Amino acid sequence: MRMFVLSPSKMSMFSVDWLAGLLALLVLAVAPWLFASGYVIGVMTVALCFGIWAASWDFMSGLTGRENFGHSLFIGAGAYTAGFLNVNFAVNPWWSLLAAPVVAAVFSLAVGFPTLRLRGPYFALAMLSGAAVMQNLTIIFSRYTGGQDGLNGLDPIVDSTLGYYYLTLVLLAAITLVLKLIAASPWGIILRAIRGDEASCQAAGINVTFYKIASLTISAACAGLGGALYAHYQLQVGPDLFAVVLSINIIIMVYVGGIGTIYGPVGGAILLNVLTESLRVFSEYRLWMYTLLLVFILFFMPQGLIAPLWWRLRRRLSP
Amino acid sequence: MVQILVYGAVISAIYAMLAVGFTLIFGVARILNLAHGSFYALGAYLVYTFTANANLPLWAACLIAVPLVGAFGVAVERILVRPLRRSMLAVLLITLAVALMVEQVLLLIFGSEARNVPSLVDATYHFAGVDISAQRLLALGGGVTILAGLWLFMQHTRLGSAILAVAQDAEAAQYMGIPSDRIYSLVMGLSAAIAAAAGILVAPFQTVIPSMGLLPLVKAFAIVVVGGLGSIPGSIVGALLLGYSETIVAFEVSIEWSQIVSVAAVFATLVIRPSGFFGKRASF
Amino acid sequence: MRRFLFPSLMAAVLAFAAGSADRALAQTKPIRIGVNTAIQAQVGRDAIDSVRMAIDEINAQGGVLGRKFEMIVADEGEAASEGPKLGIAAVNKLTSEDHVDVLIGGYDSGVTLGELPHIARAKTIFLGIGSASPAITQKVKDDYQRYKYIFRVNPINSAKQSQALLGFITGKLKGDLGYNKISIIGENAKWVQDMVPDIKKGAEAAGLEVPVAEFFDVQTADFSPLFAKVKDSGSQYLIVIISHGASDVFVKQWYDAKVPVPIGGIDVKGMDANFFDRVGGKSIAEVSANFVLRAPLTPMTVAWWDKFVSLNKRPPVYTAAGAYAAAYIYAEAVKRAGGTDTDAVVGELEKTDFVGPAGRVQFDATHDVKDGPGFVNELFVQWQANGERVVVWPKELATGKMINPPWLAQN
Repeated sequence: MRMFVLSPSKMSMFSVDWLAGLLALLVLAVAPWLFASGYVIGVMTVALCFGIWAASWDFMSGLTGRENFGHSLFIGAGAYTAGFLNVNFAVNPWWSLLAAPVVAAVFSLAVGFPTLRLRGPYFALAMLSGAAVMQNLTIIFSRYTGGQDGLNGLDPIVDSTLGYYYLTLVLLAAITLVLKLIAASPWGIILRAIRGDEASCQAAGINVTFYKIASLTISAACAGLGGALYAHYQLQVGPDLFAVVLSINIIIMVYVGGIGTIYGPVGGAILLNVLTESLRVFSEYRLWMYTLLLVFILFFMPQGLIAPLWWRLRRRLSP
Repeated sequence: MVQILVYGAVISAIYAMLAVGFTLIFGVARILNLAHGSFYALGAYLVYTFTANANLPLWAACLIAVPLVGAFGVAVERILVRPLRRSMLAVLLITLAVALMVEQVLLLIFGSEARNVPSLVDATYHFAGVDISAQRLLALGGGVTILAGLWLFMQHTRLGSAILAVAQDAEAAQYMGIPSDRIYSLVMGLSAAIAAAAGILVAPFQTVIPSMGLLPLVKAFAIVVVGGLGSIPGSIVGALLLGYSETIVAFEVSIEWSQIVSVAAVFATLVIRPSGFFGKRASF
Repeated sequence: MRRFLFPSLMAAVLAFAAGSADRALAQTKPIRIGVNTAIQAQVGRDAIDSVRMAIDEINAQGGVLGRKFEMIVADEGEAASEGPKLGIAAVNKLTSEDHVDVLIGGYDSGVTLGELPHIARAKTIFLGIGSASPAITQKVKDDYQRYKYIFRVNPINSAKQSQALLGFITGKLKGDLGYNKISIIGENAKWVQDMVPDIKKGAEAAGLEVPVAEFFDVQTADFSPLFAKVKDSGSQYLIVIISHGASDVFVKQWYDAKVPVPIGGIDVKGMDANFFDRVGGKSIAEVSANFVLRAPLTPMTVAWWDKFVSLNKRPPVYTAAGAYAAAYIYAEAVKRAGGTDTDAVVGELEKTDFVGPAGRVQFDATHDVKDGPGFVNELFVQWQANGERVVVWPKELATGKMINPPWLAQN
């Protein structure tokens, strides 16, 4: 895993990075005009939501090395917040974008503090069980949460499919930018240092607890925001948003994109979402083809697909 | 009271069989094998195919299925896992992908409807208010026997000692002339075989559907972490804990809450004692 | 290997995106039926085959208004693992890309409810054939202008199903057999969570005692604690409501433990014609609600059943009956409306009066299929020796006596 240290000699490489990011953003902005089908725009909007979730996962887990198998906890928290506010209290959907990250952040504090000293599979499992508890509670208390069927009839934040796509794109770009900036700043260095050797960081006087909790909270808030966006797009929330399967799918997307790069996971999310839909031609064989492709990618590209591709491209481009 | 004791014992035995295989491969090869549930499912489906399609007698089907799944486990380890062993996450994800593939293949071949695997024994026993089928008692007995056999194997054979050596320190074991790579494959095969045996023993009274391996995998993961990764006695204790807490809650409160209790118990254990009951503290 | 993977992935993705533009342009004369269902499940496969059977028949007679029918299928995926995400994408694909004239499908209520706003936004008619939640047709009542495109052909909604179940409890269990203590268990799906308290109340009002009324998780693999509880409570019958859960395992465990309490209720998987064989005969004496059997429910049922079996080499499940009826109902509505104009067809659909394999289909004010004598009924069918199915309730349609499991004394 590479460590990007800020130094003048590397600045030229950086400008290529930002240029490429801008280009990618442009492509995504123009895409709906090229493929003018509401269905494709819909698939892309969902893919962008997954991009937000993947980027936020990568920010915490990719940098600090604490793999979070319960990211869906924050997604579900954000989505259900949006659902409750909109369906039960008829609150204007724009408020969800504010409330959801806050609620998700609170959840992150609730699970973050007890699990501070956990690493590796222990941390992974603790987060996984946190999300599973919420999923079970959601189903048991069906009177308030709609149980297995969930909450329906949310209002969309923006009425037009195209408009919603742009809203999601703007938020995704903003989140990716912010997370990438934090990751490239001294903050990011500290997070990576914690991954390397936590004891030394502690000895050097760094408040490790603060950084661990903060990174989890930021990750959670972004995921919650994505959850609210998703909920108001699908117009439905259900306990499947707390499921283990969702967390694992996101991790796969991050891995395919290139762990630790923030932008890679966004690419991975978009790729895998579009792939899932485009494999419809195979009817019953769809999932089998998908897992086959996954095995190929995971086996032959242990560093991921998107980020290494970009690195190779960049080496050809920069002076 | 007797009911809780008996039913809890059966559930714990099944969980223990699953957990022990899972912890074995982790303890020895540091692999979190998410395909473990697939071995469980394959055991059940192979027995189904042999009895329903090839018309083999049940005992023959069982005897063939277990080593076949073991061989499959060895193949997965050698072909897919070994090249990626540097990164734990990579291994985790590729075993997950294997699990998904196996599920899809089973779905495509056998369909999504549950299949019927006949019981090895057909009697029912009634005692002290407990109604229990002989097959369940067989699962309990089989589980205990297999675990006992494993324990004896590990403690009293040269191969078992070799495995323990590799688990302690793979490099040192290599210096002593023990081929770690081959041990890893062997342990994977063993773990797969135990999981398959568990699948065969429970198939007559559990659902045989392509996704049958998912929930047992999550339970095994939870038990193993609670008991301490890499510790076989830990897994057994963890299995008893989970099995009995589920049964007690199902009886005293409601079966609906039994699931959430076990998950909450896992979270609580991790918070209170992060390395589990018998695990080494922060050992990675 | 590596070099090919990325370009070929990109090619697939581009083809997918580009192809959509092509499909949008092509204008088609055939009438398109979009089928959104879980194609990997039996209910999905049967729905597809049934629509195909109906379309082939209609086309063989020259189609409708000179136009032939064609069918496009979109997978809703497995609700348990993928949620409504794939279903919503499926519906969007069928409406905005394939430009179907009507949607026939649905199975999981959660997925269907998630799809409804998108279907309504696309102003496409939807004939539901599998989801039972009353919330679906409630939307028609709450916001007619927006949701008037939604109809349910099959099954009768779960609120009506619970009324029918209550009828079975009070009429058969109490009335005929004189039971006065029963237990109720159901999986914790929303529709069951709504049903069980009402059934408990209704049973108690009729003078029955209900010592155990509990829910279990859909993924429950071990029912022994439940059976033990029910047995200890002294119940004489166990009503079970199970749809996505593992009813195979439920009956097998019940039989293996020789639980001294007979079982019955709503068991969706127990509706399958081959259920008895699938569980090795262990569902004997289980009563399960059903909508379609190889029995003369209507004059056309038996012939339809036999044709389905001969074409598809397997007996149909309940969604097949609904799908077949839905295709014909739509065809006839189009004929009466003189075209596929959505509002006109909706108007004609409301006047539907069609005799299908499951019964006579008419819609009430909320576009929900009517139930009751003469319409679509919920039958209570018992598995008896050799896999024979006997209707034990309602009385007018009963074909035999209700038996007890072999380890209990017979009535």
